[in-house]
Amino acid sequence: MKKSDEEFGRQAKEAFDSSVDRLDAAALSKLNQGRHAALGELDKPMRQWSRWMPATGVAAAVAVAVMVMQSPAPVNELPSAVTDMEILLGEDSIEMLEDLEFYSWIDTVDLEADVG
Amino acid sequence: MDVRTAVFAVSCTGTPRTEARALQKEQQLNQFLADVERRALRIAEIAVRDRDEALDLVQDAMIKLVRNYSGRSKEEWTPLFYRILQNGVRDWHRRQVVRNRVMVWFRRKPTEDNDYDAIAAAPDPTGRAPDEELANSEAMDSLEVAVRDLPARQREAFMLRTFEGLDVAGTAIAMGCSQGSVKTHYSRAVHTLRDRLEEHRPDSIGPAEGKS
Repeated sequence: MKKSDEEFGRQAKEAFDSSVDRLDAAALSKLNQGRHAALGELDKPMRQWSRWMPATGVAAAVAVAVMVMQSPAPVNELPSAVTDMEILLGEDSIEMLEDLEFYSWIDTVDLEADVG
Repeated sequence: MDVRTAVFAVSCTGTPRTEARALQKEQQLNQFLADVERRALRIAEIAVRDRDEALDLVQDAMIKLVRNYSGRSKEEWTPLFYRILQNGVRDWHRRQVVRNRVMVWFRRKPTEDNDYDAIAAAPDPTGRAPDEELANSEAMDSLEVAVRDLPARQREAFMLRTFEGLDVAGTAIAMGCSQGSVKTHYSRAVHTLRDRLEEHRPDSIGPAEGKS
Protein backbone atom coordinates (compact mmCIF):
# COMPACT_ATOMS: atom_id res chain seq x y z
CA MET A 1 0.00 0.00 0.00
CA LYS A 2 1.23 3.48 -0.83
CA LYS A 3 2.36 5.71 2.00
CA SER A 4 -0.19 8.33 0.97
CA ASP A 5 -2.95 5.71 1.26
CA GLU A 6 -1.74 4.75 4.71
CA GLU A 7 -1.73 8.40 5.73
CA PHE A 8 -5.23 8.83 4.38
CA GLY A 9 -6.36 5.75 6.34
CA ARG A 10 -4.77 7.10 9.50
CA GLN A 11 -6.49 10.45 9.17
CA ALA A 12 -9.82 8.80 8.39
CA LYS A 13 -9.43 6.60 11.47
CA GLU A 14 -8.74 9.66 13.64
CA ALA A 15 -11.81 11.43 12.32
CA PHE A 16 -13.87 8.29 12.94
CA ASP A 17 -12.54 7.79 16.48
CA SER A 18 -13.31 11.40 17.20
CA SER A 19 -16.92 10.89 16.08
CA VAL A 20 -17.12 7.80 18.30
CA ASP A 21 -15.97 9.89 21.25
CA ARG A 22 -18.75 12.36 20.54
CA LEU A 23 -21.55 9.81 20.87
CA ASP A 24 -24.19 11.21 23.19
CA ALA A 25 -25.30 9.80 26.52
CA ALA A 26 -28.59 8.50 25.14
CA ALA A 27 -26.82 6.33 22.57
CA LEU A 28 -24.34 5.05 25.14
CA SER A 29 -27.20 4.19 27.49
CA LYS A 30 -29.00 2.23 24.78
CA LEU A 31 -25.82 0.38 23.90
CA ASN A 32 -25.39 -0.52 27.55
CA GLN A 33 -28.94 -1.83 27.73
CA GLY A 34 -28.47 -3.79 24.53
CA ARG A 35 -25.28 -5.36 25.82
CA HIS A 36 -26.93 -6.51 29.04
CA ALA A 37 -29.88 -7.87 27.09
CA ALA A 38 -27.44 -9.83 24.93
CA LEU A 39 -25.58 -11.18 27.95
CA GLY A 40 -28.93 -12.29 29.33
CA GLU A 41 -28.94 -14.86 26.53
CA LEU A 42 -26.22 -16.75 28.39
CA ASP A 43 -28.65 -17.58 31.19
CA LYS A 44 -31.34 -18.88 28.88
CA PRO A 45 -31.51 -22.67 28.67
CA MET A 46 -31.11 -24.30 25.29
CA ARG A 47 -34.47 -24.36 23.55
CA GLN A 48 -36.16 -27.72 23.69
CA TRP A 49 -36.64 -28.08 19.96
CA SER A 50 -33.02 -27.26 19.22
CA ARG A 51 -31.94 -30.15 21.44
CA TRP A 52 -33.76 -32.56 19.16
CA MET A 53 -32.66 -30.97 15.90
CA PRO A 54 -29.82 -33.41 15.09
CA ALA A 55 -32.00 -36.47 15.76
CA THR A 56 -34.88 -34.96 13.79
CA GLY A 57 -32.58 -34.23 10.86
CA VAL A 58 -31.29 -37.79 10.74
CA ALA A 59 -34.83 -39.19 11.00
CA ALA A 60 -36.01 -36.96 8.15
CA ALA A 61 -33.07 -37.99 5.96
CA VAL A 62 -33.78 -41.69 6.62
CA ALA A 63 -37.48 -41.20 5.83
CA VAL A 64 -36.68 -39.49 2.53
CA ALA A 65 -34.20 -42.23 1.62
CA VAL A 66 -36.78 -44.94 2.33
CA MET A 67 -39.41 -43.13 0.28
CA VAL A 68 -37.05 -42.77 -2.65
CA MET A 69 -36.01 -46.44 -2.51
CA GLN A 70 -39.56 -47.73 -2.24
CA SER A 71 -41.20 -45.51 -4.81
CA PRO A 72 -42.31 -47.30 -8.04
CA ALA A 73 -40.26 -46.87 -11.17
CA PRO A 74 -41.36 -43.75 -13.01
CA VAL A 75 -43.53 -44.21 -16.05
CA ASN A 76 -41.36 -43.59 -19.05
CA GLU A 77 -43.10 -40.87 -20.96
CA LEU A 78 -39.95 -39.45 -22.38
CA PRO A 79 -39.97 -41.11 -25.83
CA SER A 80 -43.37 -39.74 -26.80
CA ALA A 81 -42.51 -36.34 -25.42
CA VAL A 82 -39.29 -36.35 -27.37
CA THR A 83 -41.16 -37.41 -30.49
CA ASP A 84 -43.58 -34.53 -30.10
CA MET A 85 -40.76 -32.11 -29.72
CA GLU A 86 -38.97 -33.54 -32.74
CA ILE A 87 -42.12 -33.14 -34.82
CA LEU A 88 -42.68 -29.60 -33.64
CA LEU A 89 -39.10 -28.51 -34.09
CA GLY A 90 -38.28 -30.49 -37.24
CA GLU A 91 -37.29 -28.61 -40.35
CA ASP A 92 -40.43 -29.71 -42.23
CA SER A 93 -42.68 -28.39 -39.50
CA ILE A 94 -40.99 -25.03 -39.49
CA GLU A 95 -41.35 -24.82 -43.27
CA MET A 96 -44.97 -25.81 -42.91
CA LEU A 97 -45.53 -23.06 -40.35
CA GLU A 98 -43.87 -20.55 -42.69
CA ASP A 99 -46.22 -21.66 -45.51
CA LEU A 100 -49.30 -21.63 -43.33
CA GLU A 101 -50.83 -18.90 -45.43
CA PHE A 102 -50.38 -21.00 -48.56
CA TYR A 103 -52.08 -24.03 -46.99
CA SER A 104 -54.89 -21.81 -45.80
CA TRP A 105 -55.40 -20.56 -49.34
CA ILE A 106 -55.38 -24.16 -50.66
CA ASP A 107 -58.12 -25.02 -48.15
CA THR A 108 -60.20 -22.08 -49.30
CA VAL A 109 -59.82 -23.03 -52.96
CA ASP A 110 -60.75 -26.66 -52.21
CA LEU A 111 -63.79 -25.51 -50.27
CA GLU A 112 -64.94 -23.26 -53.11
CA ALA A 113 -64.41 -26.10 -55.60
CA ASP A 114 -66.55 -28.42 -53.46
CA VAL A 115 -69.31 -25.83 -53.24
CA GLY A 116 -69.05 -25.12 -56.95
CA MET B 1 -22.90 -43.55 50.85
CA ASP B 2 -26.22 -43.87 49.09
CA VAL B 3 -26.91 -42.68 45.58
CA ARG B 4 -28.51 -39.39 46.62
CA THR B 5 -25.56 -38.45 48.79
CA ALA B 6 -23.14 -39.32 46.00
CA VAL B 7 -25.01 -37.18 43.47
CA PHE B 8 -25.11 -34.31 45.95
CA ALA B 9 -21.39 -34.61 46.57
CA VAL B 10 -20.58 -34.62 42.86
CA SER B 11 -22.83 -31.65 42.20
CA CYS B 12 -21.27 -29.74 45.08
CA THR B 13 -17.74 -30.26 43.79
CA GLY B 14 -18.61 -29.71 40.12
CA THR B 15 -20.90 -26.69 40.27
CA PRO B 16 -18.54 -23.98 41.56
CA ARG B 17 -16.03 -24.69 38.80
CA THR B 18 -18.74 -24.57 36.15
CA GLU B 19 -20.17 -21.38 37.59
CA ALA B 20 -16.76 -19.77 37.76
CA ARG B 21 -16.15 -20.67 34.14
CA ALA B 22 -19.55 -19.28 33.12
CA LEU B 23 -18.87 -16.10 35.06
CA GLN B 24 -15.50 -15.71 33.42
CA LYS B 25 -17.08 -16.20 30.00
CA GLU B 26 -19.72 -13.59 30.79
CA GLN B 27 -17.07 -11.12 31.89
CA GLN B 28 -15.04 -11.70 28.74
CA LEU B 29 -18.10 -11.22 26.55
CA ASN B 30 -19.12 -8.11 28.47
CA GLN B 31 -15.64 -6.65 28.01
CA PHE B 32 -15.56 -7.53 24.33
CA LEU B 33 -18.98 -6.02 23.62
CA ALA B 34 -18.19 -2.91 25.64
CA ASP B 35 -15.02 -2.45 23.60
CA VAL B 36 -16.66 -2.90 20.24
CA GLU B 37 -20.17 -1.50 20.64
CA ARG B 38 -19.54 2.21 20.06
CA ARG B 39 -17.48 1.75 16.93
CA ALA B 40 -20.01 -0.82 15.72
CA LEU B 41 -22.80 1.71 16.26
CA ARG B 42 -21.05 4.38 14.20
CA ILE B 43 -20.20 1.87 11.44
CA ALA B 44 -23.81 0.69 11.29
CA GLU B 45 -25.06 4.27 11.44
CA ILE B 46 -22.92 5.28 8.47
CA ALA B 47 -24.25 2.28 6.54
CA VAL B 48 -27.96 2.78 7.27
CA ARG B 49 -28.05 6.56 7.96
CA ASP B 50 -30.22 6.20 11.01
CA ARG B 51 -29.16 6.09 14.66
CA ASP B 52 -32.13 4.09 15.97
CA GLU B 53 -31.94 1.53 13.18
CA ALA B 54 -28.20 1.23 13.80
CA LEU B 55 -28.80 0.67 17.53
CA ASP B 56 -31.23 -2.14 16.70
CA LEU B 57 -28.76 -3.74 14.32
CA VAL B 58 -25.95 -3.60 16.86
CA GLN B 59 -28.13 -5.07 19.59
CA ASP B 60 -29.24 -7.89 17.26
CA ALA B 61 -25.62 -8.61 16.42
CA MET B 62 -24.69 -8.71 20.11
CA ILE B 63 -27.54 -11.11 20.89
CA LYS B 64 -26.69 -13.41 17.99
CA LEU B 65 -23.02 -13.44 18.90
CA VAL B 66 -23.76 -14.37 22.51
CA ARG B 67 -26.40 -16.91 21.55
CA ASN B 68 -24.44 -18.66 18.82
CA TYR B 69 -20.74 -17.99 19.24
CA SER B 70 -20.07 -17.42 22.94
CA GLY B 71 -18.33 -20.80 23.01
CA ARG B 72 -15.79 -19.72 20.39
CA SER B 73 -12.40 -18.31 21.34
CA LYS B 74 -12.12 -14.59 22.09
CA GLU B 75 -9.95 -14.02 19.02
CA GLU B 76 -12.78 -15.13 16.76
CA TRP B 77 -15.40 -12.83 18.24
CA THR B 78 -14.47 -9.62 16.41
CA PRO B 79 -14.74 -10.94 12.82
CA LEU B 80 -17.78 -13.03 13.75
CA PHE B 81 -19.50 -10.05 15.35
CA TYR B 82 -18.89 -7.88 12.32
CA ARG B 83 -20.01 -10.63 9.98
CA ILE B 84 -23.32 -10.77 11.85
CA LEU B 85 -23.57 -6.98 11.81
CA GLN B 86 -22.77 -6.72 8.09
CA ASN B 87 -25.38 -9.39 7.34
CA GLY B 88 -27.85 -7.38 9.36
CA VAL B 89 -26.99 -4.23 7.41
CA ARG B 90 -27.41 -6.06 4.09
CA ASP B 91 -30.76 -7.46 5.18
CA TRP B 92 -31.80 -3.99 6.25
CA HIS B 93 -30.94 -2.59 2.82
CA ARG B 94 -32.86 -5.43 1.13
CA ARG B 95 -35.91 -4.68 3.26
CA GLN B 96 -35.59 -1.01 2.37
CA VAL B 97 -35.57 -1.83 -1.34
CA VAL B 98 -38.74 -3.91 -0.96
CA ARG B 99 -40.35 -1.26 1.19
CA ASN B 100 -39.50 1.46 -1.31
CA ARG B 101 -41.02 -0.61 -4.12
CA VAL B 102 -44.22 -1.01 -2.13
CA MET B 103 -44.25 2.69 -1.30
CA VAL B 104 -43.79 3.60 -4.96
CA TRP B 105 -46.66 1.26 -5.82
CA PHE B 106 -48.95 3.11 -3.45
CA ARG B 107 -47.53 6.44 -4.66
CA ARG B 108 -46.34 7.44 -1.26
CA LYS B 109 -43.12 9.05 -0.25
CA PRO B 110 -40.48 6.28 -0.57
CA THR B 111 -38.16 7.16 2.30
CA GLU B 112 -37.11 10.06 4.39
CA ASP B 113 -33.51 9.73 3.22
CA ASN B 114 -33.77 12.88 1.16
CA ASP B 115 -34.38 14.84 4.31
CA TYR B 116 -31.27 13.47 5.96
CA ASP B 117 -28.97 16.22 7.10
CA ALA B 118 -25.55 14.95 8.06
CA ILE B 119 -24.66 18.09 9.98
CA ALA B 120 -27.95 18.16 11.89
CA ALA B 121 -27.56 14.47 12.70
CA ALA B 122 -24.00 14.86 13.95
CA PRO B 123 -23.57 14.05 17.63
CA ASP B 124 -23.38 16.77 20.24
CA PRO B 125 -19.89 18.01 20.89
CA THR B 126 -18.43 17.30 24.30
CA GLY B 127 -15.33 18.63 25.98
CA ARG B 128 -13.39 20.06 23.04
CA ALA B 129 -12.46 23.51 21.87
CA PRO B 130 -15.08 24.83 19.45
CA ASP B 131 -12.73 25.26 16.50
CA GLU B 132 -11.23 21.81 16.99
CA GLU B 133 -14.69 20.33 17.33
CA LEU B 134 -15.86 22.04 14.19
CA ALA B 135 -12.85 20.80 12.20
CA ASN B 136 -13.38 17.26 13.46
CA SER B 137 -17.08 17.12 12.80
CA GLU B 138 -16.79 18.78 9.39
CA ALA B 139 -14.05 16.36 8.35
CA MET B 140 -16.08 13.39 9.56
CA ASP B 141 -19.25 14.68 7.91
CA SER B 142 -17.46 14.90 4.57
CA LEU B 143 -15.87 11.50 5.04
CA GLU B 144 -19.16 9.97 6.17
CA VAL B 145 -21.05 11.22 3.12
CA ALA B 146 -18.29 9.95 0.83
CA VAL B 147 -18.18 6.55 2.55
CA ARG B 148 -21.97 6.21 2.24
CA ASP B 149 -21.74 6.75 -1.48
CA LEU B 150 -19.27 3.90 -1.96
CA PRO B 151 -20.53 0.59 -3.37
CA ALA B 152 -21.62 -1.65 -0.49
CA ARG B 153 -18.69 -4.06 -0.56
CA GLN B 154 -16.12 -1.27 -0.80
CA ARG B 155 -17.82 0.49 2.08
CA GLU B 156 -17.71 -2.65 4.21
CA ALA B 157 -14.04 -3.28 3.42
CA PHE B 158 -13.07 0.31 4.15
CA MET B 159 -14.96 0.59 7.42
CA LEU B 160 -13.81 -2.77 8.76
CA ARG B 161 -10.17 -2.21 7.80
CA THR B 162 -9.89 1.46 8.65
CA PHE B 163 -12.46 2.19 11.35
CA GLU B 164 -12.46 -1.13 13.18
CA GLY B 165 -8.83 -1.93 12.41
CA LEU B 166 -9.42 -5.53 11.33
CA ASP B 167 -6.61 -7.13 9.35
CA VAL B 168 -7.19 -8.56 5.88
CA ALA B 169 -7.91 -12.06 7.18
CA GLY B 170 -10.40 -10.81 9.80
CA THR B 171 -12.09 -8.55 7.26
CA ALA B 172 -12.41 -11.49 4.87
CA ILE B 173 -14.17 -13.52 7.57
CA ALA B 174 -16.42 -10.59 8.44
CA MET B 175 -17.31 -9.97 4.80
CA GLY B 176 -17.56 -13.63 3.85
CA CYS B 177 -15.17 -13.31 0.90
CA SER B 178 -11.56 -14.01 -0.03
CA GLN B 179 -8.63 -11.97 1.21
CA GLY B 180 -7.90 -10.98 -2.39
CA SER B 181 -11.38 -9.51 -2.71
CA VAL B 182 -10.88 -7.56 0.51
CA LYS B 183 -7.67 -6.03 -0.84
CA THR B 184 -9.36 -5.09 -4.11
CA HIS B 185 -12.43 -3.56 -2.46
CA TYR B 186 -10.32 -1.69 0.06
CA SER B 187 -7.90 -0.31 -2.51
CA ARG B 188 -10.73 0.91 -4.73
CA ALA B 189 -12.49 2.45 -1.76
CA VAL B 190 -9.40 4.36 -0.64
CA HIS B 191 -8.76 5.73 -4.12
CA THR B 192 -12.36 6.77 -4.60
CA LEU B 193 -12.46 8.46 -1.22
CA ARG B 194 -9.16 10.22 -1.75
CA ASP B 195 -10.32 11.58 -5.08
CA ARG B 196 -13.61 12.66 -3.59
CA LEU B 197 -12.10 14.26 -0.50
CA GLU B 198 -9.21 15.94 -2.26
CA GLU B 199 -10.08 19.28 -0.76
CA HIS B 200 -9.88 17.84 2.75
CA ARG B 201 -6.56 16.13 2.23
CA PRO B 202 -4.02 16.05 3.80
CA ASP B 203 -4.75 18.21 6.81
CA SER B 204 -8.52 18.45 7.13
CA ILE B 205 -9.45 14.82 7.90
CA GLY B 206 -8.56 14.18 11.47
CA PRO B 207 -7.30 16.42 14.20
CA ALA B 208 -3.66 15.29 14.30
CA GLU B 209 -2.34 17.46 11.53
CA GLY B 210 -3.88 20.61 12.93
CA LYS B 211 -2.32 20.04 16.34
CA SER B 212 1.28 19.88 15.14
